Amino acid sequence: MAEASLKPTHFYILLALSHEHRHGLSIAREAEALSDGRVRLWPASLYGSLQELSDRRWIEEVPEHPVEESERRRYYRLTRAGRQALTAEAEHLARVARLARARARARTGDAR
Amino acid sequence: MTHGTAVRVYRALLILVPSRLRETHGDEMEALFAERLAAARESGAAAIARTWVRTIVDLLQARAAGWRRRAGVMLTVPTDERHTVMFGSDLRSAWRSLNRQRTATALVLFMLSLGIAANVAVFSLVNGLFLRPFPFPQPDRLVYINETAPRWNLEVVGVNYPDFVQWRNAQKLFESIALYSTDAFNVADAAGAERIRGAFVTWDFARVLRVEPLIGRTFTEAEDKPKGPPVVVLGEALWKERFGGDRAVIGRTLRLDGVARTIVGVVPAAASFPDDVRLWVPMGGDPNQQGQSYSFDGIGRLKPGVTAADADRDLKRAHQPIWDKGDKDHTVSPFVKPLRDQFVRDYRTAASTVTGAVALLLLIACANVAAVMLARALARRREMGIRLALGSSRFRLLTQLLFENLILSVIGGAIGLAAGQWAIAVLVRMIPDELPRWAAFQVDARVIAFSLATAVVTVVLFGWAPALHAIGASVRSAMHATTGGTTGAPRGRRTLWFLVAGEFALAAVLLVCGLLFVKALDRVRHVDPGFRADNVLTFAVPISEAARPKQEQWIAFWDQLRAKLRALPGVDAVGVITCLPLGCHWGNFFAVEGAIPSADGKDPVVLVRAASAGYFEAMGIRLRAGRFFIEADGRDPQHPAIIVNETFVKTFWGPGANGLGRRLKVRDPEAKWMTVVGVVEDVKHYGLERPMRPGLYAPLPMIPRSTLSVAMHTTVDPQSLVSAARQIVREMDPELPVFGVRTMDEAIRRSLALRAALSWMLAVFAGLAFVLALGGAYGVASYLVSQRTREIGIRVALGAQPSDIQRHIIGRALAVVGAGVACGLIAAVVAARSLHDVLFGVRPLDAVVLLTVAGVMLVTAIAANGVPAYRAARIDPMRSLRTE
Repeated sequence: MAEASLKPTHFYILLALSHEHRHGLSIAREAEALSDGRVRLWPASLYGSLQELSDRRWIEEVPEHPVEESERRRYYRLTRAGRQALTAEAEHLARVARLARARARARTGDAR
Repeated sequence: MTHGTAVRVYRALLILVPSRLRETHGDEMEALFAERLAAARESGAAAIARTWVRTIVDLLQARAAGWRRRAGVMLTVPTDERHTVMFGSDLRSAWRSLNRQRTATALVLFMLSLGIAANVAVFSLVNGLFLRPFPFPQPDRLVYINETAPRWNLEVVGVNYPDFVQWRNAQKLFESIALYSTDAFNVADAAGAERIRGAFVTWDFARVLRVEPLIGRTFTEAEDKPKGPPVVVLGEALWKERFGGDRAVIGRTLRLDGVARTIVGVVPAAASFPDDVRLWVPMGGDPNQQGQSYSFDGIGRLKPGVTAADADRDLKRAHQPIWDKGDKDHTVSPFVKPLRDQFVRDYRTAASTVTGAVALLLLIACANVAAVMLARALARRREMGIRLALGSSRFRLLTQLLFENLILSVIGGAIGLAAGQWAIAVLVRMIPDELPRWAAFQVDARVIAFSLATAVVTVVLFGWAPALHAIGASVRSAMHATTGGTTGAPRGRRTLWFLVAGEFALAAVLLVCGLLFVKALDRVRHVDPGFRADNVLTFAVPISEAARPKQEQWIAFWDQLRAKLRALPGVDAVGVITCLPLGCHWGNFFAVEGAIPSADGKDPVVLVRAASAGYFEAMGIRLRAGRFFIEADGRDPQHPAIIVNETFVKTFWGPGANGLGRRLKVRDPEAKWMTVVGVVEDVKHYGLERPMRPGLYAPLPMIPRSTLSVAMHTTVDPQSLVSAARQIVREMDPELPVFGVRTMDEAIRRSLALRAALSWMLAVFAGLAFVLALGGAYGVASYLVSQRTREIGIRVALGAQPSDIQRHIIGRALAVVGAGVACGLIAAVVAARSLHDVLFGVRPLDAVVLLTVAGVMLVTAIAANGVPAYRAARIDPMRSLRTE
């Protein structure tokens, strides 16, 4: 399938990282805020996804942390491939949304 | 659980996720979880529970993802074994290992599912009765209200309507309170005459239970007044049956006892309370009427946060004006208790007894599982030793054993759950009338969680632990076991024997208690009920008071009915009475001439029944002195004649007194003195196990009643006369239903159903326990013989006779079993002592029972050990020495 879509979890993680470097907890908070509380990331799936996205080289760890934060936190940023994947997914979603809206309107028209 | 503990638990649960994730991100995961949990804490217990469930699902998903990834990666990338717990391959090899030892596996599964099935059945029972909430919103806030009068010798008298009105106005801690009283109504229409159970309720009844009508509404305050409009609320079942579920039923009428009542609403089936009531009508009480009876039951809904004890005090405070006004001695006082307590009181002893028994059974199953697993582990010491020597880590071996045990527990748990459900269905069919209507016994999350938890705990604790014990030794000793022959570790062998002894001890406890119960049941069955139970057909007929308003009409009706029934071929005596034995109760207090003071200073309650001539003959009640009623009794108001029972004579006039000719009357200045014309033997009115109260029979015409029970003695099969009797009633009045048709044999059987079910359950558990213990003994003996082949071979080679070998093996087994049984019998006597209340006078130290159990167990133990012993005695020394 040409239109293979991203897992929602992955999409929101990429989205959360699109503007700034973040650590896991901050990604979870941002994803929840971006989705109006609809997407809640649970620990294992969040960090599992981070590993998976790292393995795909869509995100990477930021080598130097900001100093004031705790040692244990790993910061991530988008790679070029990650940004491309995010853009592609956003376009895909927009296309799907346009299509669905058009269909829905047509149905209402028929009914009249 | 505090926040800190919760986070530590989470930390421990991280063992579930792939090690790479755990090691890289463990701390951060913990932090995120802590944040989620803290947020959930703000919104209450439900949110916390949801968070935990989500968290565990999350962890398991990560585990599954890890497996999937490895399955893809393993082909190409070499994995570091230390970092990857090989769950998949452990699972497979565990399965292979179980499959290799099919007999042992099947044996463990069988024992496990047996133990779990019995536990699931009992747990469903306990769950249905004690744990599942009532089908009403916030059921924990519902309470039962009644009044008690210890001075009248009555624990529960029933609520008096004026008292209730006083409480309703003065109480502070209830959201609302209501009264109800069950009754039955004649419903007659084109569909035929039927007797339907219903209840009179105060208007706020539905408010207390928070019942929402399906259609229409429940009662209004205005409808619950004296002479209020005739209305009725239908239950869902009745609505579907009589009106085909027609939603346009509101506003139509239903004739109840000859009165047309307007249907105002239909309530859902789940709201059927109390018991199996099918319709409700307003009580229409009048608080100002004098001398009302104490006859209602009350329910209340507490305000949030109020306990039953608080409510009890509140109600007593609200009752104060009544005490001040007319009851200075506090003869009658209200009480409040949780609603469930009121409805499960009969089942508490039974439930705790059965739970105890079934827990013992599970313990025996556990001991068996432990024995089999230990034997397996001992037999596999060599395999384990080799694997250890080849560099496999002890951790890997233990994981594999754990997996074997988990597979066993899941399969055993599932089989047990299914079998347990089947058993409970059989049981519920055995005692349908005895169980409250609201009790439901289907599988719910609680039952499933219970059975799985039992299975896992059983197997892991009793399977894995012995395995650890067996391979806990070092590589050297494991290898030593391999090379040093097959005698097995003495420590393991001692444990095995210890388990067998334990099983026999527990089985002995169950067998003794089971036999005592069966004996008690037999004893209760042989109690003389005071009447002749066989060939007595009984049924009840309610005269419609609308069609026959006058009492003379009722008397005439009963006379006529009796005469017609008496004329049926095969009927030799017919009588009617207000309350049949094992039926209802109607008590009163009497002023008795020449009465001696009662033993406890309380005024004895007298059971009052109104009976017609012919009743005593029909029931076969035996006469002690004087005469039975004749047709003339009660028709002349100037000479009231009554019959009393033996307990009455003993209570009021002392043992050995002759009651004939003595007089008594109701506690009322205007009441007439009544003369005793006959003394009859006691009838076990309240059940074969219950003591009888003083009782009197008044002649029916003196206390006419519109609903009576008919008893007829037949010379043919009583069931064959049912349709003829119905026909006679129909001819006299087609609107009258006939209900409660049963023989007295049946009535007795029903009254014993709960005890019978309890006894049989215990007997079945005892039997299962016995079989399990025997199986365990056989298994252990066989295993030990097989392990000692070489040793026995040497003994035979050195000149031991087969009989010596047999004696040796059986002797050892008998010593173990004997010790177990001895301990068991002592424990059983102690246990049976605590069952004193339900054993109906059967003494715990029953020599016959104890000797029987000891004898049977020892003899069967010899048999169970005889087979392996025989096999051992036939060992060919040459072959046995060559096996290694």
